[in-house]
Amino acid sequence: MQNGRTIALAMWMIAVSSLVHAKQLAIVTDTANTTTNVSAVDLIKIINVKIHNWPDGKPVTVIMRDPGASDMQLVLHRILNMTSEQARAFVQAHKSGIMVADSDDAVLRFVSSNPGAIGIVDLYSLTKNVNVLKIDGKLPVEHGYLLSGN
Amino acid sequence: MAMISKVGLVLIGVVLSFRSASAQTATLLPLTTKSAKAHRLLEQAWDLGIDQVEQEKAIRVLRKALKADPNFAMAHEILAQISLEPSEQVSERQKATATKRNASLAEQAIIDWFQNAADHNLIPAITNMNDALRQYPHDRWVVYLSSNWLAKQTQYDRAAAIYEHSGMTDSPGLMNNTAYTYASIRQFDKAFILMDKYVAALPKDANPQDSYAEILRMDGRFEKAIEHYKAALTINPGFYSSQFGIADTYSLMGDQVRARQEYDLGFRKFSLPELHRIQWRTREAITYVRDGNITAADAAFQAIADHAHTKKMSQVEADTYRQMAMYQPHSHQALLFLAKAEAALHEGSNAMPGLIQQELAQILRARVELALRIADEQTAEANLAELAALSDNSNDKLIETAYHGAAGALLFSGQDYKDAVLHLEEDIHNPLSLKLLVIAYRQMGDISESKQVGDTLADLNDPTLEQAIVVPAFRKCIQNAACDSIIKTASLQH
Repeated sequence: MQNGRTIALAMWMIAVSSLVHAKQLAIVTDTANTTTNVSAVDLIKIINVKIHNWPDGKPVTVIMRDPGASDMQLVLHRILNMTSEQARAFVQAHKSGIMVADSDDAVLRFVSSNPGAIGIVDLYSLTKNVNVLKIDGKLPVEHGYLLSGN
Repeated sequence: MAMISKVGLVLIGVVLSFRSASAQTATLLPLTTKSAKAHRLLEQAWDLGIDQVEQEKAIRVLRKALKADPNFAMAHEILAQISLEPSEQVSERQKATATKRNASLAEQAIIDWFQNAADHNLIPAITNMNDALRQYPHDRWVVYLSSNWLAKQTQYDRAAAIYEHSGMTDSPGLMNNTAYTYASIRQFDKAFILMDKYVAALPKDANPQDSYAEILRMDGRFEKAIEHYKAALTINPGFYSSQFGIADTYSLMGDQVRARQEYDLGFRKFSLPELHRIQWRTREAITYVRDGNITAADAAFQAIADHAHTKKMSQVEADTYRQMAMYQPHSHQALLFLAKAEAALHEGSNAMPGLIQQELAQILRARVELALRIADEQTAEANLAELAALSDNSNDKLIETAYHGAAGALLFSGQDYKDAVLHLEEDIHNPLSLKLLVIAYRQMGDISESKQVGDTLADLNDPTLEQAIVVPAFRKCIQNAACDSIIKTASLQH
């Protein structure tokens, strides 16, 4: 509880420094996409442009924020396994399969209006206009989720 | 459904949605009520509760609003959030859900958001929040509820951004709220700019001075903090949180005798709502922990637990016993208190199910830490497995961080520092995990990270039990040549 200096709602929180807070990234698809779960192995292949189609045959388009940005470190380390520079070069070389957007909102807009699109956004950016994919049966916030951590 | 402004009411005999100012109607959340009086009272509750932080007065006003219109769903929701009585929190949340069909879609999204959050359904809660924010990014209720909730989810940058982009930068309540957000990430320069504006906006109110004091205290500027608390009491001698703020500050300064005098003065002088009384009785009990007087601490905490039991406040009772377990020097005694905590939780009176689950997670975490203290790895693993299952089934941030704290502690005890760090980094708001992180980074050879976390830990000035258990000892260790060399070298700059 924050003492009542701001009105007290539910629980206390304590001060922390500029330590990096743990992030959770969500994998999103358009709401018509029938896939609800993807294995980590397949997700890595999708983002690395090694799987080109969904099970229903729709072509996959990947969209994310600049993979070199600090917010996307989890993608760099756990999916692409590249440095920032390598990731940017990789995206440049695969422009037909990977798009880069300048914000989570732009990713969500693109995914919601493009069947077959798959995007990566911060968990707290999620809207109702997209589906959230489980990775290995786990949603963000469940422990063991692939795209969670610092 | 008609949309009308409060300056030109048109009665049409059905449920109406009232808005605040005609020029801004497109940007303001419609507040659906059939009663102009109820609408006016909700706005008054903002002024009292959010701007001036006169929480009890705001609660009374909200109750009046709900007498005027018992079907006012948003008023039920706000009362559920700010009530200082657990039973009222539970019943008002139920009423908000029961009456939401009368409300606009945006109001329904807000009610669903908090219901989902209470039910540990984080993803729908987030989408509900973003739904409301997308429609009404410039409405003060939406901005306040969003930024406040995000701060509790430790999404401080996002919480601050919502305020900065809201265009509501002249709202005193939002300035206050955002200043705390910045202070929580130790961006004190931004926090104090907002505090100066807040004081200037409401020079005759006590809360701006009180908030200024608390943020100064978070920054370790104790004497200045006490000056501002006194200024708040000069403006409003009945503003009791400033009296207890002075007490909390003396406790953090290490003067427990003076702190107890100030708490005692507060308890004699003011009639407090139940949850505030318990909050500061707990702080008072913590002064004995800081003194190392376990007998006196036990007596003080036990009185709180007994009181909570009498009042049928199960979660509060359980949490009190859990805290008692945390500072016990003898493990068998700690185990007894954890058993009492679980027993209280099983009664489950007057607590939202989500809060009960969160408390259970905290108890399991305490069980893991206790088992590790006595080198009972098997018990630690069994409790961690139970906590993991709870986390798997809950989708709740607090439960998840409890799991990570416990998992990190278990891995740390097995000297698996690399994996321990991965978990402990997910629990950086808890001094217990921060302390382990300092050592784990050091053991891994990451001196820079170790120092950074050590600085954070040494600078924590929050009057909680966890701070009392960890931080003063950590600070002393840094000053003491004979102390743990790993901790000492972790924070050489102190």
